[in-house]
Amino acid sequence: MSGIDNKPKVNMKIPGMRGGPRNYLTEKPADTGKTVKSLLKYFSDEIKLVIFLLFVVVVVVLSTVSAPGLQSKAIDTIAAGNYSGIGGVLLIMAGIYILLSLSTLLQNILSAELSQRIVRKLRNDLFAKIADLPIKYIDNHPHGDIMSRMTNDVENISNTVSQSLGALVSGVLTIIGTVFMMVYFCPLLALLSCTTVILTVFVTKVLSGIMRRFFLKRQILLGELNTIVEEKVTGYKTVVAYNRQEEVISQFEESSDRLTLTGIAAETLGGSMGPIMNVINNIGFVIIAAFGGLFALKGIISIGVVSAFIVYAKQFGRPINEIAQVYGQIQTAIAGAERIFALMDEQSEDKSGTHDMKNTKGVITFRDVNFSYQEGKQVLFDFNLEVFAGHKVALVGATGSGKTTVVNLLMRFYDIDSGEILIDGVNIKDIALDELRRSTAIVLQDTVLFSDTIMNNLRYSNENASDEDIIKASRLSNCFNMIRRFPKKFDTMLTAAGQNLSQGQRQLLSICRAFVADPKILILDEATSSVDTRTEKNIQNAMVNLMKERTSLIIAHRLSTIQDADLIVVMDKGRIAETGSHEELIKKKGKYYELYMTQFEGNAI
Amino acid sequence: MFKLLKKYWIFVLLAPLFMMGEVTMDLVQPKMMQVIVDDGVLGLNNGGTGSMELVISMGLKMILVVILGGLSGVLSGVFANMFSQNWANAIRKACFRRVMEFSFEQTDKFSTGSLVTRITNDVTQLQNLATQSVRGFVRTTMLFFGGIFCVWTLDLRFGEVLLCTLPVVILGVLFFIWKANPFFDILQRKLDNVNNVVQENVAGARVVKAYVKEKYEINRFGNANDELVNTQLKVLRLFAFMTPLANIILNMALVVIIKMGAIEVRAGNATPGAIMAAVTYLSRIMHSVIMLAMIFQTVSRGTASGKRLNEILKEAPVIKDGSSAVKSDVKGRIEFRNVSFAYPGGNGELVLDNINITIEPGETFGILGATGSGKSTLISLIPRFYDATEGSVLVDDIDVRDYALKELRDKIAVALQKSELFNTTIGENIMWGRENASTEEITASAEDAQAMEFISEKPEGLDTAVAEKGMSLSGGQKQRVAIARALLKNAEVLIFDDSTSALDLKTEAKLYKVLNTKYDNTTKIIIAQRIASVKGADRIAVIDNGSIVDCGSHEKLMESCEIYRDIYESQLKGGGDAQ
Repeated sequence: MSGIDNKPKVNMKIPGMRGGPRNYLTEKPADTGKTVKSLLKYFSDEIKLVIFLLFVVVVVVLSTVSAPGLQSKAIDTIAAGNYSGIGGVLLIMAGIYILLSLSTLLQNILSAELSQRIVRKLRNDLFAKIADLPIKYIDNHPHGDIMSRMTNDVENISNTVSQSLGALVSGVLTIIGTVFMMVYFCPLLALLSCTTVILTVFVTKVLSGIMRRFFLKRQILLGELNTIVEEKVTGYKTVVAYNRQEEVISQFEESSDRLTLTGIAAETLGGSMGPIMNVINNIGFVIIAAFGGLFALKGIISIGVVSAFIVYAKQFGRPINEIAQVYGQIQTAIAGAERIFALMDEQSEDKSGTHDMKNTKGVITFRDVNFSYQEGKQVLFDFNLEVFAGHKVALVGATGSGKTTVVNLLMRFYDIDSGEILIDGVNIKDIALDELRRSTAIVLQDTVLFSDTIMNNLRYSNENASDEDIIKASRLSNCFNMIRRFPKKFDTMLTAAGQNLSQGQRQLLSICRAFVADPKILILDEATSSVDTRTEKNIQNAMVNLMKERTSLIIAHRLSTIQDADLIVVMDKGRIAETGSHEELIKKKGKYYELYMTQFEGNAI
Repeated sequence: MFKLLKKYWIFVLLAPLFMMGEVTMDLVQPKMMQVIVDDGVLGLNNGGTGSMELVISMGLKMILVVILGGLSGVLSGVFANMFSQNWANAIRKACFRRVMEFSFEQTDKFSTGSLVTRITNDVTQLQNLATQSVRGFVRTTMLFFGGIFCVWTLDLRFGEVLLCTLPVVILGVLFFIWKANPFFDILQRKLDNVNNVVQENVAGARVVKAYVKEKYEINRFGNANDELVNTQLKVLRLFAFMTPLANIILNMALVVIIKMGAIEVRAGNATPGAIMAAVTYLSRIMHSVIMLAMIFQTVSRGTASGKRLNEILKEAPVIKDGSSAVKSDVKGRIEFRNVSFAYPGGNGELVLDNINITIEPGETFGILGATGSGKSTLISLIPRFYDATEGSVLVDDIDVRDYALKELRDKIAVALQKSELFNTTIGENIMWGRENASTEEITASAEDAQAMEFISEKPEGLDTAVAEKGMSLSGGQKQRVAIARALLKNAEVLIFDDSTSALDLKTEAKLYKVLNTKYDNTTKIIIAQRIASVKGADRIAVIDNGSIVDCGSHEKLMESCEIYRDIYESQLKGGGDAQ
């Protein structure tokens, strides 16, 4: 068997532009510093809130730290037999506790607010980026993986910021405070406890390197799982029709098992952080106790200093432990952030054009256009075409001859390699992208409808359209009667999959939507392929009026659809084979004639 | 869901066991530290002279204890994860398996975005719940009850203080959990919405861009996002009260205990040391209450997710295997007997109305009709994508509902209207038709489907990758790959649901020629728009408004059926002269 095997190929080589749907599996951990920096930018946008939160955390830390001192003071007072003095101490204690509770409450609310603000912004930015991505990116990346970044990866950041941020900040603050106190009491011993710090940093660095790989891999696998679910649920009909449920399930299970293994490894590593830190911290403690004792014996420092020092050394352990505990979560968040920012760093659509199209008549010119989806595999060769304003131009030719590519280029879904495309003499690269697309309505063979009411779906192309406009368009596009038969007429909700609508009905709705747009240029790419010929004919008659002053570009296989076109362009393997009107081309007895005659070869069945 | 738990009971036992080990070590370690400080360094029991040996020997012991505790902590983590992740994995698989058994109306009901969220995010939430239950919960309850027990043993009256305050704390915590609980379900639903918007946008990117709706979509997403964030905030704000509340109550109890302690000490009933100990235990209890509050958050969210997963697991497939093993000698006969159909969950309007027709083995049967007349619906009853509302559909003289689904669907190959290709190579996509097909067979079907021509032009041939949803292939190329897939299946019945609409006429003609010669014995049902596609069929059924208006050969229909003549006329313009 040459090259076909049943296993999904990891690292499958995909030529040229298809950078590789599965290449994402090998995504290497990027520069953490860069990821953290990008993430910090989001915090700096909320700088007021961050500062306020930090201030509150300081209060929390201070009252947490001062409470034990007060406790021992109270007990000392009791031990000293000063029973009358206890009231005052207890009063202060109660005050501190109230302060602690209030500031903790404030800290919780503020960190919730902060985390949700950041996450909202992150999600909005990510979505804006997705909306801005070139079609090229979306065509070549698994949709499930893009979705996974939006949900799973962002979710991790959300959880981390709201749950771990407080622990992290108060931990760091406590460590700084403690180190400061240690240096104050005895620089020499403080230096010794640096060994602990160095050891901690070293171990953290080594461990987190390994951990991050696992956490990132887990997020990637989660993305893969998402992809399988998304792809197989949207393509469910095919899965069922071919009885492939078992195979799909085993593919899913294989992926799910890998995710589980990686997950266990990642979590175990993350969980071992705490105990390891604990050991290091205790080693540090013993070192300090030993040397502290030694120094005390030698009279370098007083016993009091040693005892204070030991208290701080003990205190050192708690925040480090706390940080270690949330460390795994932070790693997951960073792994997720890495994937989010990787997507955000993708090139956006080029929107540098500024020309408007207010007075556009609709003259379309292709001049020496060359184009390839993948390097080295050219799809269009020296394509030259002039479409006059108000004309109806048809593109015909065998499948794969490059007809849809012409549409992709005109809409700037893809940009050409060389040559130029002009509208009324202006290079489309210089026209504002929004303006270009707003002036052009397109109906694709694969219809896209949204899970919304029919009315809103039709209004999608032109938000200013009134209900009357839409109803008028629906009559023109022959879908008024169909809609009227739906239970809630124009208010009928379309489900995501739209199972109750046939492909033809969906095409009618898409055409209606294009009519509502009231465009200067109309492009129909096999827009009526699933519509019966009588309905199609009615639509065409309607279009004659609608498009009188406008340019239309039509791709169709049924030659009857395009016979009355002003210009028919016959394409063959990325080149124009011949052009002319129907009569001219028939007389010419060339490619078009051949194609035309096969209309009847079909009768051979 | 809990049935799936059984396999992992050993981990469920081991994780808490090792957790107990860790907690025990946690309890021993401070005492050792105390000895090192008091006797080793400060020499409290030795008149102020410390002992270096004691520091080192006790220090080593302590490090050993910490290592032991750490090890059992890590092990407990390993087992907890073995349990929670394997269990989550089992649930994830069970859910996906169930989704694969759904019928279309059920998939529609949940929506793609929601199914994706459930199988990934909700499973993760449930997994967190599981981990927390065997680790965090065990740890905190141990510390909690241990602490209470210790305070109790110290002095009865200290215990009374706890007895008064703890119920308040617990009630308070419960109150906030009760308040927050309904939001978790909403939270996951809002997450569904976010996911749905993303999914629609990614899948429909061309249309979004063509109509310059990026801003509109960003706005739509912004709303879904805001709703999610606001729900999340509501939950977080409620939970924000839990720890401070527990804190303040327990801390006030602490103040009371010290005050009482002072009285007791004065009366000579207690020592300052006992108060010190009580304070230590109380802060431990407090810590565990705070931890519990955190854990409850995970538990509440996990429970909501668990419910959503159960919804999938409990959703029984509507279309099930037939009960009896059936055998038939006929191969390729299809009969519709008094079949009427309305879409489940629709308004009850009949899409098909009393259809009666028999298609004989080896026959080529064309179906023509207006958009929305019920053509696709009719054929979707054969492989039981849906079940007939009334009447019965028979394949090989046996009711389709009596077949095992797999057996029934093995008899039928459908090339769908919308050719769905998957994210692998062209060859593998075709191989979906038959799993163990050889390369020769794949090539042969691709040739029959007129696909080999364009495939062999690609440098990597059958190994060429199909990008997401087949975007890299043209519409006609996709259809031919889908047809090759159907042909490879070698089924008794071949159904083309308008699946040649994007083929140019020449290619289509070639395809039908091959079908007539090479697939002579196969029953062929062809839905088409072009009369040319079905003109040569043995019989053509004309469907209008869910009923068969007329059925017969081209010649017969030309005479008897007005609608057919109408359709013919409308297409004649394309080739009238040549007739």
